[in-house]
Amino acid sequence: MFFKLILRNSKRSRKENGLFFSSLLVAVMAFYVILSLPRQDVMVFLSQMESDAVEKLLTLIPAFYGMTLFLLFFLIYYASRFQLERRRHEFGVYLMLGMRRSRLFVLLLAEDFGSSILSLALGLPFAVLLSELISLITARLVGIGIIEHQFSFSFRAMLWTAAGFFLVKCTASLLLSGNISRQEIGSLLTEIPEGAKRQMPSCVYVVSLLAGMLCLTAAYAMAIHGESWTHIRFMGLTVVLGLLGTFFVFWGLRLLMGFFIRKGNHDRRLHTFDFRQIQETLIRRFGTLALCSLLILAALCCFGAGTAVFRYYENAASHVLDYTFTDTNASDVRRTLAAYRLDTMFQDLFEMKTGRVRTTEDTEHAFDTEPLLAALRSMDSSRDRDVLLNNLSYASSPYLIPLSCYNRLLAAAGQSELVLHPGEAAVYMNQEDTAQGRVQLLNRILETEPLTSLDGDALRLTGKVQGADLVTDRSITLSFALILPDEDFVYYTQGEYDIFVNGILNNHTTKHTSLLSAISEINEKLDETGLSYESYLQNMGRQLFFQTASSYLTIYLAVIFLIIANTVIGVQFLMSQQKTLRRYRTLVRIGAEYEVLCKSARRQIHWYFGIPTVFAVFGSLFGVRALFTGILTSAARSHLSEMMIVSAAMISALCMVEYLYITAVKRSSDRCLLGLMIPKREE
Amino acid sequence: MEPILKIESLKKYYGKTKGRTKALNGITFQVMPGEFLGIMGSSGSGKSTLLNCIAAVIRPDSGSILIKGKSLSSLKGAALSDYRGKEIGYLFQNFELLDNLTGLENILLPMSLHKIPEKEGKKRLNQLASYLEIQEVLHKFPAQMSGGQRQRVAAARALILHPGIILADEPTGALDSKNAKALMEKLLGLNQEEHAAVLMVTHDSNAASYCKRILFIQDGVIFHELRRNIPEESRQDFYERILKVMAQLGGGSANVL
Ligand SMILES: Nc1ncnc2c1ncn2[C@@H]1O[C@H](COP(=O)(O)OP(=O)(O)O)[C@@H](O)[C@H]1O
Ligand SMILES: [Mg+2]
Repeated sequence: MFFKLILRNSKRSRKENGLFFSSLLVAVMAFYVILSLPRQDVMVFLSQMESDAVEKLLTLIPAFYGMTLFLLFFLIYYASRFQLERRRHEFGVYLMLGMRRSRLFVLLLAEDFGSSILSLALGLPFAVLLSELISLITARLVGIGIIEHQFSFSFRAMLWTAAGFFLVKCTASLLLSGNISRQEIGSLLTEIPEGAKRQMPSCVYVVSLLAGMLCLTAAYAMAIHGESWTHIRFMGLTVVLGLLGTFFVFWGLRLLMGFFIRKGNHDRRLHTFDFRQIQETLIRRFGTLALCSLLILAALCCFGAGTAVFRYYENAASHVLDYTFTDTNASDVRRTLAAYRLDTMFQDLFEMKTGRVRTTEDTEHAFDTEPLLAALRSMDSSRDRDVLLNNLSYASSPYLIPLSCYNRLLAAAGQSELVLHPGEAAVYMNQEDTAQGRVQLLNRILETEPLTSLDGDALRLTGKVQGADLVTDRSITLSFALILPDEDFVYYTQGEYDIFVNGILNNHTTKHTSLLSAISEINEKLDETGLSYESYLQNMGRQLFFQTASSYLTIYLAVIFLIIANTVIGVQFLMSQQKTLRRYRTLVRIGAEYEVLCKSARRQIHWYFGIPTVFAVFGSLFGVRALFTGILTSAARSHLSEMMIVSAAMISALCMVEYLYITAVKRSSDRCLLGLMIPKREE
Repeated sequence: MEPILKIESLKKYYGKTKGRTKALNGITFQVMPGEFLGIMGSSGSGKSTLLNCIAAVIRPDSGSILIKGKSLSSLKGAALSDYRGKEIGYLFQNFELLDNLTGLENILLPMSLHKIPEKEGKKRLNQLASYLEIQEVLHKFPAQMSGGQRQRVAAARALILHPGIILADEPTGALDSKNAKALMEKLLGLNQEEHAAVLMVTHDSNAASYCKRILFIQDGVIFHELRRNIPEESRQDFYERILKVMAQLGGGSANVL
């Protein structure tokens, strides 16, 4: 009999509360998806070439798992609490009929166990399917179609999913069941409205609202302006300010509701009632609402920033060179390629030479940097100036690059050529790691065409700072070099220099497949030729890694945050509706139609979701901007407005998800109200 | 004069054919405008069911209810809830005030429900509030009011839209005798001044003695009727007569819960 009761109750819970059951399913899927990340096609592919980075990411997975555990606990806890609150009366009856408390406790746990098993049984196949889908889609998106698709199912991930899920579920239900089975029978049997909270004078709330806004403004200003990212202490301060600000604002919001109650359009049906209801929840649950708002904010920021960064890496992929052959010269490479019939694949092959000053024994001080340093010192003090001063003081033994090779590079990139006269040189600095500000400083000095000396001979520096990649491998960079006319180059290097042969693939080679697969295909053939080479694949792999890792994790987090926040808000609403059903019943008695009640409840739902969401959306615009300040390189930051637009679009997309949630909660509320239209028997 | 409420062989059964409860088993009576009518009977005799039928909260199985000559069963949708809100006012044993609304907001609730501009109700509100002596609690929440004040606020809410008939289901049930007496006096005053009919279910003989006429119900049928001879008979005498009938009912008031 006891067993039957468990089965029946367990089944009824699932039927009655889809919200509860679906949150269990979400939990299962969330666990599995993060755990199966190492088995995703893209990750498997990347681990072959970016093993370090992938390795590092994979060591982060336990941390993400732990975080998921923590977040999902909230989700499950809230959903289960709502589930149990609905059945308080029933539990009271069980106890009245003489069921022992310990037995009620066991009953609740056993019921829970039933639905847990079922959600695992249902959720796991879905989770496997979902992660498979993600794997296929990401692989397709980044264009690694040729690589064999690997079924991403992982038994270990499944075990850990089950373990995590049960841990979360058991903790939540132990807490809740314990709480319920300990309560007074009387308090279970009757719906006791929570006592009214004492209210402070309204000036206190005005101060709170103002203080909150001040805190938030300060926090966002710090984060956007960049102070927060300079030191962990400032970051901490920003976070604390942001949290405090949010809570202050939500605490003070009741004042606004009070204003709406007094002013507002009183001729609308149930205006006062609606706002009193909203005010009540704002007073009682301002903490939860603030928390949910923060979660939504986090979701929006993650999603907005994540997708924008993804887009950036995708677009920033402009590159010129596909291959660099080392330890050889152009004619040898051409001959070998022709022998293996690979020459048609390349549209261009040209040499790049770099050497050092060999005309003097004192190589370390061949270049006189003092004129540059002096010019710099006379400029206004700034961080960029100091860094540049420091960098240039090490530039006295520069690399040399011949002008003709460099011009070939510029031509290949479609840029205009550099003109140098004998006795002139251009400065080359690899710009990736050099902040734009520093390059601009140096350009201002170069405009004056300063006169320095190389091995005692006068040398005039002209033109702008150059920075095109000399070879494919981006990890090889020259922090400071001089571009010299060819004769000067040969003279100073004394004919001793390194030769690299750069290759650019034909357009038609890459037209039909993605560059990624074209290069990996050619690499396979090149391996047979015995040539030593670097391909752009490595760089691409790194970029791809950042792309996938950042988007995968941010989107994952965003989805989890969003689901949790929405479920908590929705459950909160339905729970408070449940608690105040008596009010709705009274409204029915004094002549409210079903439609009027539904409308009223819907308006409350709008506000209920709207307040934290609007607050979060507003905050997310600043939040995303702040994240860009913190995580983007200075080069990427020049695309800021473009990226902000991408983020804004993504944030609006998430608002659609929000809308779907609201619709679901409205349905649930309508159903609940329909039950009221049949008069309840008064005992 | 036309009766404001006319009930004809009203029947309401609960449950399936077997073992069903005949809550109302053919009840017929009329209420005249401005009449103060009491309904008494033991617990389970069908009093609440009768009131709920009149309030259009539940649908009778057969019989008819005519309000101002119009049949209740012909009303649907908006007309029905309009009827529930405007034609009748309902007083509950446990007041049924919304605990998150102030007294004032509770009283104005019916206007808000029926989309009547609040301005129109201002005068009416002031008049009711001063008559029912609830001006000081208008801006308080129900939790801050006494039981008597709560019921008087509820009465103001029931009366705000000038209903032709007030239905009260044991309105004094949750009040002490002093507050109960005060409420009955106010109700009687409103009944006489506003000419609103009152239909009150009660098991409190004292409260019932304010009525002009009392119907006694048992097992879903009217089995007795008392009329107060106005003005010869004092309220005290009428009270004695009520007690006598109750005693005949068997067991006296002890079995009337
Ligand atoms: N919703 C219902 N379902 C089944 N039986 C009901 C319901 N409401 C009332 N009854 C039965 O109808 C009879 C009359 O009830 P009611 O009108 O509440 O009596 P009273 O108010 O006089 O105490 C009782 O026997 C009661 O058990
Ligand atoms: Mg009753």
